[in-house]
Amino acid sequence: MSGIEAEELSKRFGSLTAVNRLSFEVGTGEIFGLLGPNGSGKTTTVRLLACLIAPSGGSARVAGFDILREPLKVREAVGVLTENPGIYDRLTALENMEFFAEAYGLRNKVERDTRIRELFEFFDLWERRGDKAGTFSKGMRQKLAIAKAVVHSPEVLFLDEPSSGLDPKAAKDIRDLMERMSRQEKQTIILCTHNLEEAERLCSRVMIIKKGSPLAMGSIEELQKKLRGAPELEIGIAGVEDGLLKKAAKLRGVNSMKPGKGGVLIFDLDDAEVRTPDIVEELVKAGARVKSVNIIRPTLEDTYLELTKEGSR
Amino acid sequence: MRADRLLLVFRKDWLEVRRNWEIMAPILIIPLIFCVALPSMILLIPETSSSSNDLEGIIRILPEAVKNEIIGFNDNQIIAYLMLTFIFMPFFLLIPAMASSVIASDSFAGEKERKTIEGLLATPLTDGELMVGKMLVAFVPSMIVTLLSFVVYTALVDILGLSLFGRFVLPTINWLLVILLLAPAVSVTGIAVTVIVSARVKGFREAQQLSVLIIVPIMGLVVGQVLGVLLLVPTVIVILFVIFVIIDIIILKIGLGMFEREEILSRIR
Repeated sequence: MSGIEAEELSKRFGSLTAVNRLSFEVGTGEIFGLLGPNGSGKTTTVRLLACLIAPSGGSARVAGFDILREPLKVREAVGVLTENPGIYDRLTALENMEFFAEAYGLRNKVERDTRIRELFEFFDLWERRGDKAGTFSKGMRQKLAIAKAVVHSPEVLFLDEPSSGLDPKAAKDIRDLMERMSRQEKQTIILCTHNLEEAERLCSRVMIIKKGSPLAMGSIEELQKKLRGAPELEIGIAGVEDGLLKKAAKLRGVNSMKPGKGGVLIFDLDDAEVRTPDIVEELVKAGARVKSVNIIRPTLEDTYLELTKEGSR
Repeated sequence: MRADRLLLVFRKDWLEVRRNWEIMAPILIIPLIFCVALPSMILLIPETSSSSNDLEGIIRILPEAVKNEIIGFNDNQIIAYLMLTFIFMPFFLLIPAMASSVIASDSFAGEKERKTIEGLLATPLTDGELMVGKMLVAFVPSMIVTLLSFVVYTALVDILGLSLFGRFVLPTINWLLVILLLAPAVSVTGIAVTVIVSARVKGFREAQQLSVLIIVPIMGLVVGQVLGVLLLVPTVIVILFVIFVIIDIIILKIGLGMFEREEILSRIR
């Protein structure tokens, strides 16, 4: 069963189309990245799927419930970390957690207390549970916000910039938590982020949207291949000569070759992973003094920037 | 709508409200002015300057029960008695209206300003639970303050007025009906209107400015009482109570019908 199934999901605010016929499926236990520049429609998409706003068109099922017919069931089944932490400054960390735990249906006090303690200990907030949230640092507020979003162990979790404001250790803890929730507890996670490294590390698939419309969707590798083709091979050589350049361009399996800066030769190959040892061997035989060998793969950042740059779409 | 969830919203909001002095100060100061200043002003200033002709005009329009109460009183006693037991009565409808308007204005508008509204609306609490829970947190403290103010006012009038009247003059049946029936009904009207407004504006100040309008009909009752046009006697109080209850039910139904999470989210600054 899919965690999320969206079909032609659309949202218009007057003449502005914030989300334009988005269709996608997210499998149970999958971490799915929603990427796009500011104002691309990520937050609106999350609000639609979390039943905070109603779609203008299309439909969706979240955790098996229809967002139009069963909004309460959807809200019970999902956890949402919004752009703002959304915690009550005048309440203590514990009072905040107790409120959200009860609101999300954790009625058994022992069960509730155990879960809250478990999360507070995980996020290093146990010692500060009696302090008002207004006295917390940005990072601590973010941890508390994530803790409240996952307090009821939701089947589907929407996280908007979860590592924003966190120090590297806390950001890693959050990533570990997401991986654990996805793998062990089979919780579906939608991750909205500008942190492409984080998306690359965590998401099995991503969707890049711009102005409410999908630009690309697939695994990171699929998107990279689609946009930039196969990885390139870069070989650094001491003292490049014209003769060597001519021989290198004619090597078997080389589609094209261009010299780069500082004696680097850049090869376009059909399969860089397989062909690299042969190319290096043949260059050495041809008299080249090889300094370095690198297989250059386009990053998600390259793909993202290429897709979302002004003028594209 | 589940009672435990109403109480959950109530408890959360009450914890916030009681730690917020911007809200608590007006709730406590206004009743203090009414319940202490009004009787002190009348009973600690010895002479009044109304002519006997004015007084006869006022006495003529009083109900028989009140006329019987003032038999044997001199002019000063009559004026003090009428002020303390009659004229000031509708002022005590202002206490719950004003106290609750501060909390009710903060209900949704405050959450929007503090950017906590989205997290709240994302919970599985129903529209009714959110709205009625928010109303409850405005209603309960304002009624407690009203009852306490009435107790303090009654005690002050009876203690300070004992030498003037020679007996305790409060509470009267009119006062009890106003405090126990009319005040809650009027309070609910004000709260329901203000919570609806609070959900549809962007900030606390806007909500509070609009909620002040609820004081207009109450001021009408004050003027009616002072001019003798609409005296708050038991029959009138019960009729007004029924009218306000009907208004409350209508406003609540309209409010629940108008409650939309999307509309609330669209009004975040």
